[in-house]
Amino acid sequence: MKKIYFDNVATTKTNKEVLKTYKELLDNYYCNSDALYDGGVEIYNMLEKSRENIARLLKVEKEEIIFTSGASEANSTAIKGLCLKNQNKKHIISSIYEHSSVHNALKQLEDEFGYDITYLKPNEFGVIEVKDVENNLRQDTILVSIMLVNNEIGAINNIDEIKKIVKKHPGTYFHSDITQGVGKIDIDFKDIDLASFSAHKIHGLKGSGVLVKKKHVELLPLINGGQQEFGVRGGTSNALVDIVLAKTLRITLENKDNDNKIIKELNKYFKERIKEIPEIKINLENSIDNLINISTPIKSEVLLNALNNQGIMVSSKSTCGSKKNELNRALKAIGVDEDYAIRVSFDHENTKEEIDYFITCLKENIKRYG
Amino acid sequence: MADILYDHIVVRYGELSTKGKNKKDFTKALTHNIKIRLKHYEKLEYKTLHDGLFIKLNGEDFNLIKEDLKQVFGYAYFSGALIVEKDLEVVKEEALKLALKNDYKTFKINTRRTDKTYPLRSDDINRQIAGHILRNSELKVDVHKPDLMIYVVVEKDDIILMDEKVKGPGGYPVGINGRAMVMMSGGIDSPVAAYLTMKRGLRIECIHFASQPYTSKQALDKVLNLAKMLSVYQENILVHVIPFTDLQLAIYKNCKESHAITIMRRMMYRIADRLCQKRKIGLITNGESVGQVASQTPESIAVIGKVSDTLIMRPLCMMDKIENIEMAKKIGTYETSILPFEDCCTIFEPKNPVTKPKEKDCLYFESLFDYESLIEECLNNDEIIKVSYQDKNDDGIF
Repeated sequence: MKKIYFDNVATTKTNKEVLKTYKELLDNYYCNSDALYDGGVEIYNMLEKSRENIARLLKVEKEEIIFTSGASEANSTAIKGLCLKNQNKKHIISSIYEHSSVHNALKQLEDEFGYDITYLKPNEFGVIEVKDVENNLRQDTILVSIMLVNNEIGAINNIDEIKKIVKKHPGTYFHSDITQGVGKIDIDFKDIDLASFSAHKIHGLKGSGVLVKKKHVELLPLINGGQQEFGVRGGTSNALVDIVLAKTLRITLENKDNDNKIIKELNKYFKERIKEIPEIKINLENSIDNLINISTPIKSEVLLNALNNQGIMVSSKSTCGSKKNELNRALKAIGVDEDYAIRVSFDHENTKEEIDYFITCLKENIKRYG
Repeated sequence: MADILYDHIVVRYGELSTKGKNKKDFTKALTHNIKIRLKHYEKLEYKTLHDGLFIKLNGEDFNLIKEDLKQVFGYAYFSGALIVEKDLEVVKEEALKLALKNDYKTFKINTRRTDKTYPLRSDDINRQIAGHILRNSELKVDVHKPDLMIYVVVEKDDIILMDEKVKGPGGYPVGINGRAMVMMSGGIDSPVAAYLTMKRGLRIECIHFASQPYTSKQALDKVLNLAKMLSVYQENILVHVIPFTDLQLAIYKNCKESHAITIMRRMMYRIADRLCQKRKIGLITNGESVGQVASQTPESIAVIGKVSDTLIMRPLCMMDKIENIEMAKKIGTYETSILPFEDCCTIFEPKNPVTKPKEKDCLYFESLFDYESLIEECLNNDEIIKVSYQDKNDDGIF
C-alpha cells in the first residue's frame, strides 16, 4: 500500500544529502571532540565550523549557538535556565498553547518554585495579541515566552512586535519557540534573547537542536558537565549530529522560497478540494501554509485509524501530547471541539495526487462512519 | 524606508593620482586587485575611468560586494550609484528615493557636469532636485553638515546619482611595492604586522617556526587559519613551515639559558634571511615592538637583527600592546590569535633572559655547535602551504 505522509509538523523525512553526510561521518569519526589528539581536534574543528555556519545563516554570533538534543531541551534550558538564574523576579508571560516542553517547564516553575505565570489566550484568529503582552508586563516580569508558529493550529504570532514591546521593558527577556517557523518564515533574531528549534522538523536528524542564546543572557545550566557548549550544556558533544545540522539548515534556507511556493500551491489545492465535502470545516483559515487543521463529523481517533488503514498518516493533536489525555490547548482556545479535529501538514515533497487520494478516502470514510 | 537597488558601483582611486609617472602601474594593479577580490560575482562588468573604476552590477548584491571591496587596499572611496537617463524628472524621483532611504534629517545636492553642453547649470540642477525633495519629504537642506549628500554627475550619455561615500581601507595596491616575508608566530601582533605590510602595497609570504612535538598541530592550524583570514587582501598566501625542533634543542643544549631566546631569534632571522634570498624577497617584517619582551629591547633587536642581510622592518615597533589588540580586533584576527596553544617562543621560556645581549657573547655560544648544518636542514625541510580564504576543504560536510 502506498504511504502518504501528511504529518510534517510532527517530524520530517531526513534529507538524503544530510543522511549521506551523517553516514560518512559515522563511518570515519568516533573521537571525543574535546580530545587533544588529531582525531579529536579534527572533529572539534568541524563542530565549530558548523556552529559558525549556523550562526552566519541566522545572522547571530558564533558564541550564541548552543547545540542541544532538540527543541524540547532548548526550550527547557532557556526557560528554566533563565528563571532559576534570576530568581529575584518571578513573573512570566506566555500563552496557553505553547508546546508541551514550554508549557511543562512553566508548570514546573509555577508548582515547584512559586513562579507566577500569566497564560495569554489567543484571539479568534488563533493569534496572541501584542497588546495583551504589553498590558500584562510587570516590574517583576522576568520572561516573555511566545511561540512563533503554533504546532496544532498553525497560527502565526507577530513576534517582531512582541519583541519590541519586551525590549522597551528593561530586565525582561524574550524567548520564542521558533521550531515550526524555521525555513517557513524569515526570522530576524535582533532583540530576541532566546530562541529554540530542532533539526528534525527541517529534514534533519532527531536528537538535534539549537538554542540561540544571546551573549548577554546568563543561564543556569540544567545539565552539568565539562566545558562543552560554553558551560551551558555539559556532556560529551553529540558532535557528528551537531556537525550535520549546519548542512540541514543551509539546505532548508537555500530551498526556502522554492519549497514554500510548492507548499502554498498544495495548501490552495487542498482548500479547493476540501470544499467538495460540506461536512468539513477548516478550523483556522489564516494558518501557516503547511498546516491545515480541519473538523470532521467523525471522532478524530476513529478517522485517524481509518486513514491509517488507507495508508495516510495524519495527527489528531500535537504528537507530543498524543498518548496523554491532555486537552488540546490551542483548539480549545479558538473554540474547536478537539474530539473531531485532525491536523494535516505538508512539505514540498507532497503532491496534488496525494491530496486527491486523501480527499477520496475522506469522502469514503465520512460516508461510512460519519 | 525605500529599498534602493544600486545598479553600479563607482570606485574612486583618489590619492593615487598624485603618483605621477607611476600612476599607470598603480591603476592597473588596483583594478586587477579589485577584479580578483570580486571575481566570484560573475555578472559584474567593469569599465575603467580616468581616476577609478565603474562596476556594473547586473543584479549582483551591492551589500555583499561592499564588504568585499573594503578588503582591497589602495583606493580612496566607493559609492553605490544609479545611472539614469538624462531626464531631470527621472533624476528628481531617484534622488527622492535616496533621500528617503534612511532616517536622514538634512541633505545637500552636489552637482557636477562633465558635459558642459547640458542646458542647465549645476546650480540650477541642485535647486530643482532639492526643491523636489523638500516638497515631498520632511528633509531640510543643510549646506554645511548634511546627513546625506547626493552627488549628481552629468555625463555625456547619462546622469550618475550617488550618495554615501564608503571609505576604503587606505594603503597601496598589494604587489605594487614588491614582496615581503612576514615572520608569523600566531600571536596577536604578527597578523597585524602582516596586515600593515600588505597595506603598504607589499605582497606577503609567511614564515612560521614549528617545534613539534613541543608545539601542537593546533598551533600550526592556528597560524594557517590566520593566514587564511589575511589572504582576503591578496587572494592567497604562501606559508613556509620550518621544522625548528632540532635547532631549538641544540640551542638549549649549548647556550647559557639567559641567552637562549636571543640565539633562537638570531637563528630564526638567519633562516628567514636565507629563505628571502632563495625566494628573491627583499624585506622581512614581523610583529616586534620595542620593549615588549626581553628579546625586543633596542639592544636585543640590534644584536638579533645583525644576522640578516635582508632589510628588516617592524611595523608595530612603536605601538602599544593595547593598540595592537584593537587593530587585531578590527581586522578580525584577535579571537584566533588568543587561542591558547604553545608557540615555539613560549615553551622554553628562560627565567632570566638577557635584556642587553652582547654580540660577542652570542657569537661565542654559536661557535659551540654546528648551527649551519641545522639551518640547512630547516631550509631543506621547509613545508610550503598555500592558503586562501576561498579554500573549501570540508568535503561537502557543510
